[in-house]
Order: sequence, then structure tokens, then C-alpha cells
Amino acid sequence: MLATAPALRDETTVSSRRARVARRSYRGLFAWLYLLPVLTYLVVFYAYPLYRNAELSLRDYTVRSFVSGDAPFIGFDNFRTMLDDPTFVPAVVHTTVFTFVSIGFQYAIGLALAVFFNRSFRLSGTLRALFLVPWLLPLIVSASTWSWMLNSESGVVNSALTAFGMPQINWLTSPTWSLTAVIIANIWIGIPFNLVILYSGLQAIPDDVFEAAALDGASGWRTFRHITLPLLRPVSAITLLLGFVYTLKVFDIIWIMTRGGPSNSSTTMSTWSYELGFGSLLPHFGPAAAVGNMLILVALVFGLVYIRYEKVQASR
Amino acid sequence: MSHPRLRLIGAAVTGLALAGTMAACGSGGGSSSSSAGGSSSYTFWDPYPQFDGTSDWVKLVESCGKSAGVSVKRTGFDTSDLTSKTLLAAQQGKAPDLIVIDNPVISTLADAGVLTTTDDLGLDTSSFAENLTAAGVLDGKTYGVPIGANTLALYYNADLLQKAGVDPASVKDWDSLNAALAQLKGKGSKGITFSGIGTEEGSFQFLPWFWGSGANLKDLSSSDAVSAVNLWVDWLKKGYAPNSVINNTQTTAWQEFSAGDVGFVENGTWQMGNAQKLPFKWGVISIPAKAGGAAPAPTGGEFVAAPVQKDNGRYKATEKIVSCLTDPANLLTTDTTLSYIAPIESVQQQQVANDAALQPWVTAVGDAKGRTSDNLGTNYPIISEQMWDAFQKAMTGSASAEAAMKAAQDAAAAKVK
Amino acid sequence: MSHTPLSSRGTPRSTGTTVIGIVLTALMLFPVYWMVNVSLTRPSDMRRDPPYLLPIHPTLGGYRAVLHDQLPYLGTSLLIGLCTVALTLVVAAPAGYALAKLRPRGGQTLTFVLLMAQMIPGIIMAMGFYAIFLNLGITNSWWGLVVADSTIAVPFGVLIFTAFMSGIPDELMSAAKIDGANTWRTFWYVVLPISRNPIVTVSLFAFLWAWSDFIFASTLDSGGSLQPITLGIYKYIGNNNQEWNSIMATAVVASIPATFLLVVAQRYVAAGVTAGAVKD
Repeated sequence: MLATAPALRDETTVSSRRARVARRSYRGLFAWLYLLPVLTYLVVFYAYPLYRNAELSLRDYTVRSFVSGDAPFIGFDNFRTMLDDPTFVPAVVHTTVFTFVSIGFQYAIGLALAVFFNRSFRLSGTLRALFLVPWLLPLIVSASTWSWMLNSESGVVNSALTAFGMPQINWLTSPTWSLTAVIIANIWIGIPFNLVILYSGLQAIPDDVFEAAALDGASGWRTFRHITLPLLRPVSAITLLLGFVYTLKVFDIIWIMTRGGPSNSSTTMSTWSYELGFGSLLPHFGPAAAVGNMLILVALVFGLVYIRYEKVQASR
Repeated sequence: MSHPRLRLIGAAVTGLALAGTMAACGSGGGSSSSSAGGSSSYTFWDPYPQFDGTSDWVKLVESCGKSAGVSVKRTGFDTSDLTSKTLLAAQQGKAPDLIVIDNPVISTLADAGVLTTTDDLGLDTSSFAENLTAAGVLDGKTYGVPIGANTLALYYNADLLQKAGVDPASVKDWDSLNAALAQLKGKGSKGITFSGIGTEEGSFQFLPWFWGSGANLKDLSSSDAVSAVNLWVDWLKKGYAPNSVINNTQTTAWQEFSAGDVGFVENGTWQMGNAQKLPFKWGVISIPAKAGGAAPAPTGGEFVAAPVQKDNGRYKATEKIVSCLTDPANLLTTDTTLSYIAPIESVQQQQVANDAALQPWVTAVGDAKGRTSDNLGTNYPIISEQMWDAFQKAMTGSASAEAAMKAAQDAAAAKVK
Repeated sequence: MSHTPLSSRGTPRSTGTTVIGIVLTALMLFPVYWMVNVSLTRPSDMRRDPPYLLPIHPTLGGYRAVLHDQLPYLGTSLLIGLCTVALTLVVAAPAGYALAKLRPRGGQTLTFVLLMAQMIPGIIMAMGFYAIFLNLGITNSWWGLVVADSTIAVPFGVLIFTAFMSGIPDELMSAAKIDGANTWRTFWYVVLPISRNPIVTVSLFAFLWAWSDFIFASTLDSGGSLQPITLGIYKYIGNNNQEWNSIMATAVVASIPATFLLVVAQRYVAAGVTAGAVKD
């Protein structure tokens, strides 16, 4: 949509058409100048680690060949080992559950809070800022705090539960509950992100829309469902996509709280990759890289889905 | 309209200036870190980030460098990072001149061809205790020297035991230990706490019971090994140990002990400093073996090693620095600071002379075993990983001890060289 | 589409809403309260069963340690955070403008690549950076860390700017062109001033990510003379022992200036966007 209002120009002669084409391609060149910093970034900082990671996954690395750099090329053997490993299926299942449950709750709670804060009231600005505090904390601190709170014996959550007469839950040490525990912590950490972006999106919706709806006698819920949500669609789409990508990468929280255990009950692809590479005294870089690449591929597929979805929406 | 933006920019600039000043003021005093010339500046990496430039340890490192005629730039890293950093640096051809690193990692680094042998350096290792240097021996060659060792024992809460009518001297084998724990539980306390987490730390804590049952790391599925796992599983089932042991680190276990309602904690020499601050009377006994006597405990503690350098000429100064660091007088200071036991007998005696409470630890270290000894080398991490997997499964009830250890042995056997 | 100032969005609600808001915030921040609680707890009470809800036997030992040791680290974190924001904005804003308004060929692919770039797990990036920095000899430098931290925020920033700037009506652009502005002047004098929302959003995230980053700091700046607060915490993490009240105290003290910055920045978002150049 490069078009300026055509009525403002009278471009009928050949020379002026040529001039217009020249201007457009000049502008195209200009555009890439603006994009030069980002491109440099991508090549230096993303292409290289990606290439190294791909390389790591396609060779049979021992610690010795890692240092000397002469590992034999083994094609997709690392990937085949990964698929055969008994941890693979649980890791995939846990990743799926972890990701979708986290995003679902983060988005819903973030949206509810954004709607709540949308109308300003006394202290709303300060309170909204305070909601971002979880993001200030280094993950080692937030994850450790949740570990403390969810400790089977000395955790405050279990104290509260037992005070209400409910049984003690072994949040971090029981295979049944470990995944739930890390999901809860992850939801808590993800709410600020959703809140900020959805709030920005809500703020961008002009007042007249709400006033018109109110004039038509629409209730709060109807307005929300039929006006707010559709208008928020592009912002929601990007929030969900980014949330998906970031949640796939989540590692610190799970690692610090449960190390992916006990017995792999909270292992996700991300923690498995780290465990293979750095979790024991003997690193297995090849399989670690293979798992990491698998993760990137999955994210890639969803990225493609998103692009397609945006194209479909734009053409409507 | 641009006023708010200008104000924001102004605020940011002020903030930057403020930050820069704070940072500069803070670091201006301390860092005269020598990054002078290339060849006369030696890099030194260790896993003690809690020590900064003003600490005795760093001053010692720098003075050893000076006496060897070079300047030393020392960096402290988180211990879990150090292995991968060393490998990455070696890959790029920029390995440090000296590293201080956890002893079971030495065989991994040696296997990677990253380390020089003590012969390469011309270092004499005869005065070091053999059971401690064994952790750094791979295929008959020694790849570093220990700067200190620590090991595990049972600390006990003397007040609590007295109230429960337990005599610590009576805990000589597994049966008497279990009896003591039962008595403690009867009086409403917790019996014992330890670290059973699914990492190398958990394996470290499991090994005294494992070796104490008579089992051998080469066969995880033996009945002795299974009995060791069942010891832990029964403690959980009977409530002698709190559920949190499944996720405890050694620090967390110590904190549970300091809270005052646990009778025993399995922990190490490094807690001696903290033990002095306990609000109750305490004591130490060695970990009992199944049939009686002290169980062999694993050695913790770091080695100092020298990665391979492109320029052989650097090794002369490196050797001098290592000798200086492991000189008996210096070892005494270092090991006292770190709460380690010295690896040289004469220094051990001096430590005991200074503090008689260290005697049981010196004995324990004398009986201790390196995890990578018996030429297990790089097979140890593989076995260890399967082992912690197995006792975690057994403790959470996902599998019986027997089935879990059998699966662990099969998996380990398939992966070891 | 006109954007009216915030205060006229519906009628200001009663104090009841404020109370609900406070309750919600308190619920959300309970773990932060717990962190403060732990920071004041004596080591021997750390694992008390059941735990003290309030620090009944408080100790200021953690805070004393922090004030003694951590101020330079705080300064460095602030420096790195602000510089990361600056660098991110400088790289991302023009890129967003180009992708949204100038629409060069291949722009779609670039957007997709940027999305993909965010999918790479942090540890893989950190290992790659380490190799690059080691070879360039720029490990242990604070500005190297700024560059590394900005890579977390730049793709995100470009996406946000693109999304926002696509929504700027084209009439605005043509109005500027009629007034004789080229692409740069349009960008600087027309697009940027009304992009306050995305600027603040991207700045916020860039700052927060840089402030709380640990993995890049630990990989790339462990030996530097200027280290951020996330590494300062390591003073209390020995190879066998951790002093949790000092660690939590560090986190508490580190949060204060950052919270202050956040509250101030939110005001600029709340102030709303003034009317654009084109009226309905």
C-alpha cells in the first residue's frame, strides 16, 4: 500500500511514470538502509550461533573432538538417538502441556487485568507498574522464591493448605505435581508481559467505539465479545505467538525448581537439551544440539502458521 | 508535544551519568587487574566467586604469580559453568593457564586432551595423599594435584538426641542407625535429612551408603546396591526423613538441620564454619557402613591443573605457581579458609593441632575414595547419572529399587566405554 | 481515528475499584513479599517447618552485606540497562518504520526471520557469543554485554514498532510528503513523536530483559571489572554454600531503582497520545 492519494497527482506522461518507478526503487533502497543495523545483527548474532548449533547436531562430538574440532560427520544419527531415547515422548508431552496451559492462563489473566486497568482509577498507573515487578527479578531469584514457597515441609503454600485442612502436597518432589508446580510459577512470570501488550492494544482502541456500543445498549460482556476481542485480534495474535515462542524456550524456572525431575516428570525439550549438554559431568553436545534444533523447528512451524494466518486476515 | 519526550531523554541521560559514576566509583578502587602484556600475564580460573580481590585467596594467587615472575589475572566462576567454559576456551585455543576445578571433572578434561600431565610440568606429586590424587589419574598419568579435600559425615543435634535417649556413640551400623531414627521419630522429631536430588550432588551423598553396603560402581544392580537404595526408600516410607530430601541440595539439608528439629544431617567438612553458629549442641560421627565400621565416603574438593598451551615456554612459570599454591604453608591458610582438609599429611597434622575438632574429618578423608578412581575416569559421570535417576525413581515410588537399579545398570553398561 | 486522553475513558470509578486493584496487586506480588521475608530471615530459621509468615526474628545481615558489596554492581546494571534501551531503540525503530511504511521487497521474509530469531534458546546464543567475543577479545567488557543483551530485545522491538507503525494512517504520511518531507524527516518529525506507546513499551522490555539477564552476563562478563547485579549475587553463592538472605536482599535492593524507573515510565504511557495531524 505505497499508494498516496492518486487524485493528488496527475501522472500520465511516460517520463513521470518512469520517474515514479525510479522513486519507488530509490525508496526501496532507502528502506534497506534503515534495515541495515537489524540485518547486521541477524547475520552476526543469530546466524552464527544457529550454524554452530546445526553443526553440533550433525556431528559425533566427544569432549575431545569438541576441543580439537575434528568430529566425524554423522548426518542425522543424533536425531535418531534422540527419537529412540525413552525421555523423548515424555519431554514432548510435557512441553506441549507446559506451553499451552501456561499461555492459556497467562493470556486470560493478562487480558482480564488489562480490561480491569483499561478504565483509569486512582493509583491505576502505579499498580500497573507494580505488576511488572516480577519481570525485574532475575529468574534465579523468582524461581528460588517459588521453590521456597512450594517446599513440601517448610513452604508457605503447604502451611496454608494444611491450615485449611487439606493434605500436604509434595509440589516439587512428586512426579504427579512437579509439572503443575513449574506451570504455576511460569504463569506468574508471564502475566506482566501479556498485561503490558494487551493493555497497549486496548488503549489504542478509540473511545468512540465504546461510546457507540454503550449508546446502542450493549452490555459489558457483549461489548467485550463482539467489539473489544475482534479489535484486539492482531495484538492478541502477536502476544500469543511471542508467548508461545518464549514459553518454548523456558528453562531457568524448571531447572532451578525441579531440575526436570523427579524422574523426568517435569522435563521439557528445553531442559532436556540443557541436561544433555551441561547437566552431568560429561557433556553430550551432539544430542543436546539435536534437541535444541528440534525445538527451533517446532517454533518455526508455528511461526509459519502465524504468517499464513496474518496473510489470510490481511486479505479479508 | 515534544516536551515530554525531551524530558524523558533528559531523564535517561541523567540516569546514564549517574549509573556511570556509581559504577566507576565502585570499580575504580579495586581493579588494578593486570592485563598488561600478552606473554607475561597468566590467566587463572577458579570456582570461588565468593572471593573477590580483597580476599586472602586472591592475594595468595597473585603473590604466587609474582614469585614466579609473572602477573596473574584471576577470575572466579560458578562451579557448574567452569567445565563448559574451559572446553569452549580450549576449543578457541584460548584456554587459561591454570584452573582450579572440581576433582571428578579432571578426567573429563584430561580425556578431552585439554590438560597437561604433572610430568609435562615437572611437578612432584609424591607428598600428596594417594587416595586424593587418584581422582586425577587417568590411564596411569596424573593430570593435576589436589589443593584440599572434603568429605561427608553425619552431624547430629546433641540436644535432640539426648531428649530422645539416643547415644551417638551407639550408631555403628545400619541397624543401630535405624533404631536411633525410630527413637527420634517416636519423640516427634525428624530422624535424618540429606540431599537426594537428581544431580551429581545427590550421587555424592548417596555414595557413602552405596559403598558402605559393599556395592561397587561397576555393577549397580547387585543386591548390595539395591539394599542401599532401599535404605533411603524406607526412611521416606517410615517418615524418618522428610519428603523434601528428594529435591534438597546439601545447603538446603543443612538449613533444615539448623532449624533444630532434625536429629542427623549428612553433610560435609565445609559446614564446619557454619556449625559453630548452630543454636544447639552438636557433634560429628562418621557414616556407618552396613555391617559396621566407617563407610568409605567420596572426596570432594578441587584440583589445580594446567591446560595445554600453544607455547610450551609458559609451563615453567605455571609449575612455579602450582608449587607455590601447594606449598605446605600456603596450603594451611587456603584449606583453613575453605574449610577443607589438606592433601599433605604434615599439613593435616598442623590443622588438627590448630583445631582438634578436625580430627574425625582427617580420619574420614584418609578413608575416602575419589569418585573417578579405580580408573573409572569418564565412565563415572555416565554411571552416576543412571544411579541418581534410579534412586530418584525409587524414592518417589515410580519404581521398585530393584527394577530401577537394574534399568540403571543396563543403561550404564550400554553407554560406558 | 482520534485518541482521546486517558482521563475521559468512561467515568472514573469508585474507590471500590482501587481497593480491588490493590488486592489483585497484593496477590500477584505475594512471592515478592516472600522474597523480602526471606531476605530478613536468620539462616537458622530458613527451613523452619512451618515457616514464619512475618520475619519474627529479623536480621539485617543480608542488607548490610548488600550495601557493603553491591552498589557498584547496581550502577553497572543501570548503565547496561539504559545503554541496551538506547541501542535497541536506535536499531529497532528505523527498522520498524522501514518494514511498516517503506515496505521494501523482501520485508515479509525479514519479519519472518526476526520471528525465527527469537526462537533460539538463550544457551545456544550464549555459547555462540562466547566464541565470537573470545575471538574478538571483547569478553569481560560491559559494552559487549550491552550488545549481547540488545539481541534479546531487538527482534521483539522491530515487531512491535512494525505492528504499531502499520496502524499509522497513510494520510499522515502523504500530508508530510505534501509538506515536502523526505523519508527521514517523515520518520523523525512525524512518525516518532506519535510512536510514544511502542517506544515506551520496547524501552521497558529492553530494560527489564537487560536488568534481569543472567545467562549472557555470566557467560560474557564473568571476569570483567564492571559486572551487573545478576553476577553480584554470586558473591553469596560459594561452590558449596549459599547465603540466601543476602541473595534475596540483593534482589530486593536491585528491584528498587528499577521499580522506580517503571513507575515513572508508566506515566508517559498513561499520559496518552496527543491528537495526530489528521482529524476525523
